[in-house]
Amino acid sequence: MSQNNSNTKLDLIDTKNSSNELELQEHDHSHTDSKQGHEEQEGSIFMQLLGKLNDHDALYIGAYKITDLPKIYIDNGFHFFKNTKAVKESGLYTVTEHKGHKSIVNNETGLAPAWDLSITNFVIFQWLAILICVAIFRKAIVGYKKRPGKAPSGFQNAVESIILYVRDQMVRPNIPSVAVSDFLLPYFIALFFFIWTMNLMGLIPGAHTATGAIATTGGLAIISFLVINITAMKVSGVGAWFKHLLGGAPWWLGFIMVPIEVVGLFIKPFALTIRLFANMTAGHVILLSLLGILFFFKTLALSPAITAFSLFIYALELLVATIQAYLFTMLTAIFVGLAIGDHAHEHGAESHAH
Amino acid sequence: MDANSLAFLAAGLGAGLTVIGAGMGIGRLASSALEASGRQPEAAGDIRTTMIIAAALIEGIAMFAAVICLLLAIK
Repeated sequence: MSQNNSNTKLDLIDTKNSSNELELQEHDHSHTDSKQGHEEQEGSIFMQLLGKLNDHDALYIGAYKITDLPKIYIDNGFHFFKNTKAVKESGLYTVTEHKGHKSIVNNETGLAPAWDLSITNFVIFQWLAILICVAIFRKAIVGYKKRPGKAPSGFQNAVESIILYVRDQMVRPNIPSVAVSDFLLPYFIALFFFIWTMNLMGLIPGAHTATGAIATTGGLAIISFLVINITAMKVSGVGAWFKHLLGGAPWWLGFIMVPIEVVGLFIKPFALTIRLFANMTAGHVILLSLLGILFFFKTLALSPAITAFSLFIYALELLVATIQAYLFTMLTAIFVGLAIGDHAHEHGAESHAH
Repeated sequence: MDANSLAFLAAGLGAGLTVIGAGMGIGRLASSALEASGRQPEAAGDIRTTMIIAAALIEGIAMFAAVICLLLAIK
């Protein structure tokens, strides 16, 4: 009877999972000795649902697998495999599965491949987000060309108002010199629209949130880190950047201040990463848990309450998607401003564009 | 009590305590923002923007703890 339950739950969620990465049935039975009855199926169902939020080897729209995606490794040479099965069959790597996670290990060295550049599900959705952003900008430019010098209207107006918001409320107030802020403005606009598009795409039924992986948000934070520090070095000079590590204290307090400032230097992008990742993933986990309650109790009486609450959480997630995109861009602008510091006024560099 | 059950207990307690901290922090933030808006209604827009930024930052810290609790519960 309990096995019947688990099968119906699986049918509702995965209709076409013939791939080897979702060996759910075997996984269910293997848990019977560690936990009891209903609870262990509930636990493993929850884990499977959470696993849907992770990165996948194949392109998934909702629960339907569209196609397997290639795996690319740079590991003592460039390897290109058509899909995970080809990795297994090539004999160079061993693919093991453990609790839904796949680990691919080189046969000779026993370690994971040095550079894993595979195209995964999230990569495809990031490309989709890039295409959408480019389409938005191109559509806005059409109006700019057709009505040169006149007031914008329509789609161009909407996009321009957002861009002006980024420039006047996020970048210009925080970066004191106009030249630097105009130089970095394309980066901030791209960052804002990219993160916003990725966050919003995750709310469409069937699409996946690319920012729901630490890899994506970590990459964005690393780029922000480079932008912040390289801008600071270019504007104020490398020596001044090192002096910033003292934090304004005299040199003989350096042995305390420098470690603290260095930690602060790295913790800012780390906080950006975790904030974006956790906000995106937490919203989806809450939504999945709420809807899972409905499947767990299997009564019709609960459904109005749970549907209303889920709608509320969904609306909240919409708000959080926008706020997190805004916050990431705003904090990067603030950090650039902080890193440049007051040296811009000393140097007189503000009037010289690079 | 084996390590597994202790981990689950820790995850639950941690998440609850985190929510207490975040709730108190954001509650104080909202109260002072509303009070300031009442005193000077023309600054309400600026205050609202700053409030949202501060709320997101505080929630970021709460999310750190949530992620750790989730890690405890899953692994």
